[in-house]
Amino acid sequence: MAETIVVTSGKGGVGKTTTSASIAVGLAQRGKRVAVIDFDIGLRNLDLIMGCERRVVYDFVNVIQGDCQLKQALIKDRRIETLFVLAASQTRDKDALTSDGVKRVLDELSAEGFDYIICDSPAGIEKGAHLAMYFADQAVVVVNPEVSSVRDSDRILGLLASRTQRAEQGNGGVKEHLLLTRYSPRRVATGEMMSVQDVKEILGLDVVGVVPESPDVLQASNAGVPVILNDNSDAARAYEDAVARLLGENVPFRFVEEPKKGFFARLLGR
Amino acid sequence: MNVGPSRGGQPDASKARGLVGAATIETDSSAVDIRYGQVGLVHVRIRTTDPGKLLDDLTGRVAAAPHFFRRTAVCLELAALETPATVPEVQAVVDALRRAGMLAVGLAGDPDAVGGLSMALNLPILSSFRAPNRPVPVVQPAEAAAPAPVTASPSAQANASPEGLVAAQIHQQPVRSGQRVYGRNRDLIVTAAVGAGAEVMADGCLHVYGSLRGRAMAGAHGETSARIFCQEFYAELISIAGIFRVFETIPSELAGKPVQAWLAGEDLRLARIG
Repeated sequence: MAETIVVTSGKGGVGKTTTSASIAVGLAQRGKRVAVIDFDIGLRNLDLIMGCERRVVYDFVNVIQGDCQLKQALIKDRRIETLFVLAASQTRDKDALTSDGVKRVLDELSAEGFDYIICDSPAGIEKGAHLAMYFADQAVVVVNPEVSSVRDSDRILGLLASRTQRAEQGNGGVKEHLLLTRYSPRRVATGEMMSVQDVKEILGLDVVGVVPESPDVLQASNAGVPVILNDNSDAARAYEDAVARLLGENVPFRFVEEPKKGFFARLLGR
Repeated sequence: MNVGPSRGGQPDASKARGLVGAATIETDSSAVDIRYGQVGLVHVRIRTTDPGKLLDDLTGRVAAAPHFFRRTAVCLELAALETPATVPEVQAVVDALRRAGMLAVGLAGDPDAVGGLSMALNLPILSSFRAPNRPVPVVQPAEAAAPAPVTASPSAQANASPEGLVAAQIHQQPVRSGQRVYGRNRDLIVTAAVGAGAEVMADGCLHVYGSLRGRAMAGAHGETSARIFCQEFYAELISIAGIFRVFETIPSELAGKPVQAWLAGEDLRLARIG
């Protein structure tokens, strides 16, 4: 039985697709069979971030409408053999998604032996976001440490607790995790930015990962290589830690403290 | 937007003074969409039921602002009358208002007092939300926080049988932005945080054992003795029996502290607890 994890946020542009890609890769690197699905019909970009945009023949909507078999639409990742991508349609919009259709695809993926299904949600709270979260077992709520993102995430947490299959059936609800992205310890120290503690207090949830602001993320998108595969990046290490915590490991938080300046840096006023 | 979880059910009284309803009940193929909306409504509080006197008074105002009196929807408030009005008297008032260019679309006040009029005249009862008439210091000295002890849940008992105890509604999950929880005919106790953009309401008292960042409304159907208690005060709006205050900034004496709010006459007062 596959574990379905939705990556959502409410607010746009906070790092859902970046996170979906990196978490999917992180889990697959540990030997899990992972499928990552783009629910942003019409504005697809998971395939760009994963680097397989020129290999999309059939997409999620094709599968739902029976135009093709699921196997034909799943794109195998060239770097990790247990990782598959199901791209969204670029020409349709969210109305092409149906609840039954989504359920069928998720059930079929589970039957195919996938361990994890990552659902990359679109921004907002409309149909695409609703269907991405509806069948989830777990949710990773991506939050930037700033007020609008926190407010929107609060709304999403409310929807996760009420408008999902697990909530409606009363079997324990969706397991919620917070992931902080674009975190800058220096700006937190100067009081410009909310701290991890501030966010935890407002949203009332523990944090499963803190990903620092990093230019590597933009480079990763441009190159079509999920940032977690970058050997020299703090953001990559932070995603690895987050995956470890999702799997139940206890990992101390890195990248939350301002790095101490070396003696010469301080001397020279840098 | 979709309806959040609301253990107490949705309030059925619509709001006279523009309180946000964030709920939409959606059915995809029906002929009707029903949603709560924000309405700004004029209040007309009359001190006499004499149609002649009302029209004399209004004529001057109509002349001064004719554009305002063009079938303007108004909520009629009778609380300032010395004696309770009868159905024919209120009907005459409604007719007089119509001649002056105002259409009564509801009655303000306590369901017990205006219920009969509401039924006879086919006007809904709207809770009245009134801002304080004059500036009142928000924070009262500590002594004022210990007035005559309030008997346990008088409002909850008022709507139940005299002997019966109506248990408070207890809500243990965080109330998230966009959600609304309503304690109908009783007190509401929330043992988690109330987020910014969330609403907690009760006909009786409201207790939030957590941080209160959203809107809190007690005495929703007019119980003036209802109070609001919270553990960490960051509320956006506080209302008791329709008298409300918005907090653009939180007074530093109250921010993040345990606070209670109550009505003293028409003044909404707040003070630290303990």
